[in-house]
Amino acid sequence: MASLMRQSCLSALRTPLATRNVAGISQVVAFHASTRKLILPPEPQTIQGTMNDPAPIPTPHPSHGSYHWTFERLVCVGLIPLTVAPFAAGTLNPVMDAVLCSLLVLHSHVGFQASIIDYFPTRRVPKTASFMNWLLRGFTLTTAVGLYEFETNDVGVTEAIKRIWKA
Amino acid sequence: MASLRTTSRILASSRPLFRPAAFARSYATVESGSQAPAPKVKKFQIYRWNPDTPSEKPKMQTYELDLNKTGPMMLDALIRIKNEVDPTLTFRRSCREGICGSCAMNIDGVNTLACLCRIPTDTAKESRIYPLPHTYVVKDLVPDMTQFYKQYKSIKPYLQRDTKTEDGLENRQSPEERKKLDGLYECILCACCSTSCPSYWWNSEEYLGPAILLQSYRWLADSRDQKTAERKHAIDNSMSVYRCHTILNCTRTCPKGLNPARAIAEIKMMMATH
Amino acid sequence: MISQKVAQQSLRRLAVQQPYAMRWSLMNAASPAAIAIGRNIQTRYATSSTQTTDPTKLLAEQRLRRPVAPHLSIYRPQITWYGSAAHRLTGIMLSGPLYLFATAYLAAPLLGWHLESASLAAAFGALPVIAKVGIKGFFALPFTYHCLNGLRHLTWDTGRAITNKQVIQTGWTVVGLSTAAALFLALL
Repeated sequence: MASLMRQSCLSALRTPLATRNVAGISQVVAFHASTRKLILPPEPQTIQGTMNDPAPIPTPHPSHGSYHWTFERLVCVGLIPLTVAPFAAGTLNPVMDAVLCSLLVLHSHVGFQASIIDYFPTRRVPKTASFMNWLLRGFTLTTAVGLYEFETNDVGVTEAIKRIWKA
Repeated sequence: MASLRTTSRILASSRPLFRPAAFARSYATVESGSQAPAPKVKKFQIYRWNPDTPSEKPKMQTYELDLNKTGPMMLDALIRIKNEVDPTLTFRRSCREGICGSCAMNIDGVNTLACLCRIPTDTAKESRIYPLPHTYVVKDLVPDMTQFYKQYKSIKPYLQRDTKTEDGLENRQSPEERKKLDGLYECILCACCSTSCPSYWWNSEEYLGPAILLQSYRWLADSRDQKTAERKHAIDNSMSVYRCHTILNCTRTCPKGLNPARAIAEIKMMMATH
Repeated sequence: MISQKVAQQSLRRLAVQQPYAMRWSLMNAASPAAIAIGRNIQTRYATSSTQTTDPTKLLAEQRLRRPVAPHLSIYRPQITWYGSAAHRLTGIMLSGPLYLFATAYLAAPLLGWHLESASLAAAFGALPVIAKVGIKGFFALPFTYHCLNGLRHLTWDTGRAITNKQVIQTGWTVVGLSTAAALFLALL
């Protein structure tokens, strides 16, 4: 009874605009944003354990964690002078060029690896994840060997880029 | 006389039931004066989904409010819609002053607290309100925070000590040590930052996300905690911390002005220097 | 007062004439004394007793039906995450061709391709100017952006320049600088 009175009282206070909305004019538009899903379509929600259990933390693995990160940052820092040097000196000597190539391969490998972990996580798509990882390893290997061939048989990466750029 | 007292007690206790409905207030409404200014009608588009009809797709529903009669904040608008237009609209709110973190939602594309977010006065543009991005929706603007809280529990957010202090009294720390916790302890765990992080969108099952990592750092940085090494070791894997690619949406969106990105950077540096 | 007296009298009459009815009517109402000394046991009756589903599974089933709130499509474009996405994209645009070229170079003798620097330079030199500038720009812009933005990332990893204001400033600075540098390189 009280709630009924409250209702009628409220509707008396309503602005004409608000009442119009209640009358059914409140527009409803179809929702399109959820149809598009490029990466990692979300799974139905499941919760492991009860509400009061902590979420499981993956097992510690410093070679995939802190060592990996530190190594990657060292590679990045090492790339800075090797990127600036060719612009300053015109070209790199063969040894520096080889170092640049190996750092580039490492940096690329880690970069691709991070993308695979982000978009093909093992817990979601274990087969795709392992396929992508092996594909990456294979490609990194052929790239490393190919660059070694290029370094030993050709003029070196920086010099080659320079010649093509000036062609 | 005793019976008389009993009767009056019954009468007193039943009084609120028959309270005149005129006392029912609508909180978010500002009463206009005698001369009403021109109405400033703004459109609000709000994400709707009802668990009672789960097969129906989520949709956007448009509401119109006169800003002259609405409080200044987004939460005022939501409360007014719920009170006066559509009582089925569902959202969380509690303190209305940015300290409880209940009303975290995505307003006009950024995550923030509805109670701290002013309604843009530009009535030409409609405001779009969504739940926190990439969360499972319980109803309308209410996200399921179970995983977030479970992750918070997983970092053991409490002081861990093996030994007592020498005098057996409080665990003291210097003003400098205490200062390290500034900008960390203020976090209200509203999850605005975590749900703004694309990395957390894709990997919320294992990546802890900015909010939880900020709390993780809050305990790593605490001079009184004696389990720093264990804490560091526990999250030393590829997922818990290192899915952070310094995208920095977290710091950009924090409604409390904190800096989760810097806290994560500090964690990474701590972990790098064993 | 009169109405209270009437009520009392009628209750007394009921107690005298039909004591069982009186007891029955009072049984469901806890006496104030019982409440005061904690003897009162509240009973609540379930509104529906025909429970067909396992209540522990109800929430789990509801969870399976929940939609995921929209994310990529509705989050406001900001220099933070657009810059980061561009960083990854430019990295792939640089490393991808490197991987493809090096692997192709390795396979070239088997397939009879000519990927030596001299023949590549000759082939590139034969292209019209507009194509040259286009191709140079296609590689120069990712290169300049990824390098300059990489410096930002390394700075953040030391905990510096990581406030909102600095991030926005350096972000747009990198966009401007890398575009200018890429234009310069493309027109070399």
